[in-house]
Amino acid sequence: MSLHTYWAYGLCIHADLDCPELPPYTGNSGSPDVTIHLLPALPTASDIPENRACEVQPGIFRLTVPGVARYRVEEGSRIIIEPLPDAPIETVRLFLFGSVMGALLYQRGLFPLHGSAVETPWGAMIFVGVQGAGKSTLAAQFHHRGYRLLSDDVCAVASTAEGLQILPALAKFRICTDAFERLGAPQEGHFEVDKYVVPMGAGYCPHSLPLRAIHVLQIVDAMTPECVAPAFQMLSGFDRVQRLLENLYRPQYLKGQQTQAMLMRLAAVIARKAIVAVVTRRPNPCEADELVDFLESVWADHFDIIPSAEQNMAIHAEAKI
Amino acid sequence: MRFAPDTRLSRVQDLLATELDQETVLMSIDAGAYYGLGGAAQSIWTILEVPVTFSELVDRLVKEYRVSPQTCATDLEPFLLKLEQEGLLRVE
Repeated sequence: MSLHTYWAYGLCIHADLDCPELPPYTGNSGSPDVTIHLLPALPTASDIPENRACEVQPGIFRLTVPGVARYRVEEGSRIIIEPLPDAPIETVRLFLFGSVMGALLYQRGLFPLHGSAVETPWGAMIFVGVQGAGKSTLAAQFHHRGYRLLSDDVCAVASTAEGLQILPALAKFRICTDAFERLGAPQEGHFEVDKYVVPMGAGYCPHSLPLRAIHVLQIVDAMTPECVAPAFQMLSGFDRVQRLLENLYRPQYLKGQQTQAMLMRLAAVIARKAIVAVVTRRPNPCEADELVDFLESVWADHFDIIPSAEQNMAIHAEAKI
Repeated sequence: MRFAPDTRLSRVQDLLATELDQETVLMSIDAGAYYGLGGAAQSIWTILEVPVTFSELVDRLVKEYRVSPQTCATDLEPFLLKLEQEGLLRVE
């Protein structure tokens, strides 16, 4: 069985299946942090529930997706997949890099936010918000302007000796098809449900970066008279933790985890050390470009440039030329 | 009075909590609800870590806040009812 080695969420991952969603590992080969095992397909007669079922116990997470696979995550270090007969491998991976990876991040005591992140000279910026708030579209817009992406869909935040870090992940991102019509069709990629999947290549930042701010995107009613331009409002106190917890990836998986007390403390640390702000914009998606300009000017006004981040970006720009 | 001196009060399990500045932040995963408890509310929540009776709770708050037991009990009641309504407190 061939072995594939990847690097995501600050983890060296060994998988016995091909995962084009993950960036390859380029470091020295050593012992992996996480192993992913794909077992032979289950017999048809297996006792599979009709509905999706998930079970969280200390150190163990189980997910069964009818027609797809049975997944088990153990101690934050091992993922075991038992596919069901005739399950398309792309669909098996879709749940692997969604819910299953989310559960693994919880087991490891990382803080998984549901959103997208970009690298900027001011540090890493995360965009969260309800479905349809425009997280991926905004990240794609930044990507279009030459910013590198750190992750899409799930942003893992860790508290380290160097402060809060965002651990980059997926080498692909999924954006709404209408956003693509505006940004121009990419050379490669494919449709998946209602989103377009694009490999990022050089537009992906593979290093952990200091986290600067978390932006909660909110669309306001176009009829609201006071809303003539995008707005940026930093939160304080309780609101910060609430917004962080509200935007956790699959918060129901937090229940029953050994790491839940640690994650709650981490929520407070993130609230204290990073900026949590609400960004309101009008519903017109054509204004995404205006929103990028707006955020660039807000960041320049509020934050100091992080020299190492700026240097990284310059190296990237040079490599692009 | 809704609460008798020997009414037992305890926190509902399955709530996640964290401290931020001078507040305790509670999260109920099932309800998807969030609560911030500051000041006296935070003291009460801390005391409730171990199940207590209503009169024990009043005694402890009287020591901490220098109010009369009567005032304390009167002020406490609506707050405890609110906690119960929100599904944060078990009353037996």
